[in-house]
Amino acid sequence: MDTQNQYVVRLENVHKNYALGKTEVQALQGVSFDILRGDFISIAGPSGSGKTTVLNLIGCVDTASSGTVSVLGHRTDTLNDEKLTALRHKGVGFIFQTFNLIPVLNIRENIELPAMLDGTDLGMSKAEREEWVAHLIVSVGLEDRMNHKPAELSGGQRQRVAIARALVMRPPLVLADEPTANLDSATGESILELMKRMNREFGTTFIFSTHDVGIVAIADHVIRLKDGKVIENRRVDEKAAV
Amino acid sequence: MIAAKMAYGNLFLHRAKSLLLGTIMCLGIAVLFVGNSLIDTAIGGLRKMFVEGFTGDLMVTGPTVFPTTIFGETAGGEQVIPHIAKFPDYEKFLASEKGVAATLPLLGGQVEMGLGEQVIGRGSAFGVDVERYKSFFSGNVTIVDGAWPNKDDPSWIVISETSAAMLSRAAGKKIGPGEKIILSALGDTAGIVIREVKVAGIVRFNQSNQQLARISLVDADTMRDLLGFASLRDTAVKLTPDQQQFVSVFDPNTLFDSPAPAASPATQATTEAKTDAAPDQGQTVAATPVPAWQYLLVKLAPGASASKVLADLTKYSAGIDTGDHVQDWIAGAGTVARTAVTIRLIFDLMIFIVAVIVIMITMNVLVVSISERVPEIGTLRALGAKKQFIRKMILLETTFLAVIAGAFGLLLGYAILLLMKKSGIAAPNLFFEAIFAGKNLVPVISLSGAIKAFLWIFGMSILSSLYPIALALRIKPVVAMQGE
Repeated sequence: MDTQNQYVVRLENVHKNYALGKTEVQALQGVSFDILRGDFISIAGPSGSGKTTVLNLIGCVDTASSGTVSVLGHRTDTLNDEKLTALRHKGVGFIFQTFNLIPVLNIRENIELPAMLDGTDLGMSKAEREEWVAHLIVSVGLEDRMNHKPAELSGGQRQRVAIARALVMRPPLVLADEPTANLDSATGESILELMKRMNREFGTTFIFSTHDVGIVAIADHVIRLKDGKVIENRRVDEKAAV
Repeated sequence: MIAAKMAYGNLFLHRAKSLLLGTIMCLGIAVLFVGNSLIDTAIGGLRKMFVEGFTGDLMVTGPTVFPTTIFGETAGGEQVIPHIAKFPDYEKFLASEKGVAATLPLLGGQVEMGLGEQVIGRGSAFGVDVERYKSFFSGNVTIVDGAWPNKDDPSWIVISETSAAMLSRAAGKKIGPGEKIILSALGDTAGIVIREVKVAGIVRFNQSNQQLARISLVDADTMRDLLGFASLRDTAVKLTPDQQQFVSVFDPNTLFDSPAPAASPATQATTEAKTDAAPDQGQTVAATPVPAWQYLLVKLAPGASASKVLADLTKYSAGIDTGDHVQDWIAGAGTVARTAVTIRLIFDLMIFIVAVIVIMITMNVLVVSISERVPEIGTLRALGAKKQFIRKMILLETTFLAVIAGAFGLLLGYAILLLMKKSGIAAPNLFFEAIFAGKNLVPVISLSGAIKAFLWIFGMSILSSLYPIALALRIKPVVAMQGE
């Protein structure tokens, strides 16, 4: 962890190329930025601008073609699959555009799932963990739905479950890939407000991607991408800087 | 725990897949359970019948060209099975061998039975030491009329119930204890030998079929006479010095060089001259007669390893180097037992082929299932699930399916076997009577058979899940970001 600067994420001249048939697509072209602990950041841009690629790299589910990606003080290109898995497990929470809940588990179990994947005790007893999960369920307003299956919930409720699941390991960093894309605007707004509240309540860094310029305003820090390049990188109290 | 819950839940979530695989496994287990039970019934029945009634667990036979059966069936074409030359050595060795409970010497051959000039039947006869025979096959023989002969009774025969009925029919009168029968050997190289024997008793073979139930027991000396061996009822052979010299230094190659060998043994009698003192000219020398036996049956102690004793005995026999054969009861029993074992092999081969097909089908269904669950597995990986977790989840899924399908399969198999047991399928002929080990098929329903069937299917399931697991482990967490 880069404690001196409190950076949770640092990208330096990152390139990412994909092979698409016989042609090579340059998804990211020399992207560099830092993210501070506790920030609520929006990575904005139109479709194909490289938002999801950036989140994939920060979430340690993909690797850069060149450049360095540091997450929570670890250079991801130096870690093997096992260490990357451990870093994701303990350090990064995920909120997916399509919710990605496990259909056979009920809401409570879905939220608790990351904590049960490798028998980790989160430094707390079973009773404390259950209390923590219950607190999360109440925080996302699903206490009356906790024994339901995901299929019995609305899209907004599912995304609330996903938010609680992302926080169960108390990760320093939560990534949300277009978390409102599959929701109506009112629900999307409430989801963003919930994320913001969690950000304030737990001090967790939230990074969410969106192509909706309307919801960028909620962020403390906006990184705007276009054609794989950063075209804007500003904190809300700053003027635009490239 | 959570992996087990997810695995169990997935079975019901993907119902069509689970139902298809479950049905295959269920039927597979039922077929295996029933098939194995029937074959176990056949082999178990045959084993009990032969081991406890006719062959013992292992047997040594005289030096035929090819191994022979207890009924003298041999591919070598010998008309009379040669005797075991070093019979006492075998007995001494087996007495010291761990795991051997008892031994029984035996002679065997085909005889014709008559009343005066009238032929009334023919069949297999065993020449036995009656006390040893009764003790060796104590559970298989019951006297139903007359009595067992005494050890020193001369020239007797004990005929089976079946033979008695058959002979009585042919003779037109009841053949029973006290009746005198003329025996003549069939296929005897020593020429025509005829002996009169007295029926001592009628015996029932408790473990037998129509074919085996026709065997008669004859005193060993009469059987030796019929087969052309030296009889022990004769007193010890007295050899002149010339004869003694001949048996000591006899070289068959000199037969055609020397115009007049002193004498030629008329039989295959086994006599060992005492040579500890050089005989004086003109004196006779007493030889110690060694009884001729063609078979030496071995009964194993409960829990003894047949393969170990067989290996030890084979090694010992090879060391003696007299060309004797050492074999197990299956070889000793002959065609019927070999057929049952062959049927088992064919069944096992069929099971193997079916197994390959089942594995292929199961594997394909699992591969499709994995490909449908790529986002779910990717999500688990993204959330921090290690590869072991994914592997465990899929293996548990297969295990649950095998256990549930297994339970249904075993129930189905059990029901089929019960039905077969109740209906009591009758043996249509002697072959099936032997295979069924009785007149009706009464399947043995064993726990071990059920466990074997389950383990076989379970093993196949695990095997067929290996490739799909390998595919699942290749799924990258990044696919979780690509949506469901």
